[in-house]
Amino acid sequence: MSQTKTATLTEIFSEVLANLAFMFTDDDQADVGAGDVWLETTIGYEGPCRGELCFRCPRDFTRQLAANLLGIDVEHEEATHKSEDAVKEFMNIVCGQLVTTLHGAQAVFNLTIPQCRELAETPNLDVEDDPRISTLSVNGSRIQLVYRADEDIEPTS
Amino acid sequence: MSHDVLIVDDSATIRQMVKKTLKMAGLDVGSVFEASNGIEALAQLNDHPVAVMLVDINMPTMNGVQLLTRMQENRRLKTIPIVIVSTEGSKQRIEELESIGAFGYVRKPFHPEQLRDVLKPLLGVKDDVTDQDGDIDGDLF
Repeated sequence: MSQTKTATLTEIFSEVLANLAFMFTDDDQADVGAGDVWLETTIGYEGPCRGELCFRCPRDFTRQLAANLLGIDVEHEEATHKSEDAVKEFMNIVCGQLVTTLHGAQAVFNLTIPQCRELAETPNLDVEDDPRISTLSVNGSRIQLVYRADEDIEPTS
Repeated sequence: MSHDVLIVDDSATIRQMVKKTLKMAGLDVGSVFEASNGIEALAQLNDHPVAVMLVDINMPTMNGVQLLTRMQENRRLKTIPIVIVSTEGSKQRIEELESIGAFGYVRKPFHPEQLRDVLKPLLGVKDDVTDQDGDIDGDLF
């Protein structure tokens, strides 16, 4: 079940990324930069059931995303300034699309405010046996998506 | 006469993208003000009366639904048309928003034409725009 939802998430993510930011998934596996700083953006939804999406990518990827969304050069300081905001809003859009795809337009869900944090180290990008995780290459960068359903989410205290 | 607009969204990226779309769409827009949540929006409205508001739902501090509800309680503010611009896809939620005063709804991501079509009856089109259906490309925002 998780595998199906992760596949749906990957499909929606790739589609929104292509349509909104003109960034495309590659068949070839991109290299991982040794000095890359990685960010993790998380958003959840709650309603008849719960789910959580997590997106991990190098900081440079978020700069490119911001630049493409805003129609500016990646070297422009605004691309750096708005990079975290851009990736959070991007995941907000992906989550909205995913919820409707998975649960239909009749159900009412509330999305959480997306959170973005810097990771202490590069995530494990070679995971193959976890159905919640999908690793792909986009515009020369490795990125990782995680879908967690109800049973995988830690209860809030 | 140009019409002033207030964009209420916690994402500065989205506010900038919407602003750009408004310019591209050839709508008769004057000043564009911004707020990152409902509280800021109410403060902006004190200083700048606007013709239309574009409001996101999912925001911290005061979300779009709370903002609409607050505005409906105020005789002056309830007359301002509000267009919801959100990732929300639930029909029930959209109907709920319309029942508390939302004029229209545009789902993110959107094509500039979609925003223009919703706003055209409220803002009109600039006199110098001859091709009302052209000039804006089909990119998603």
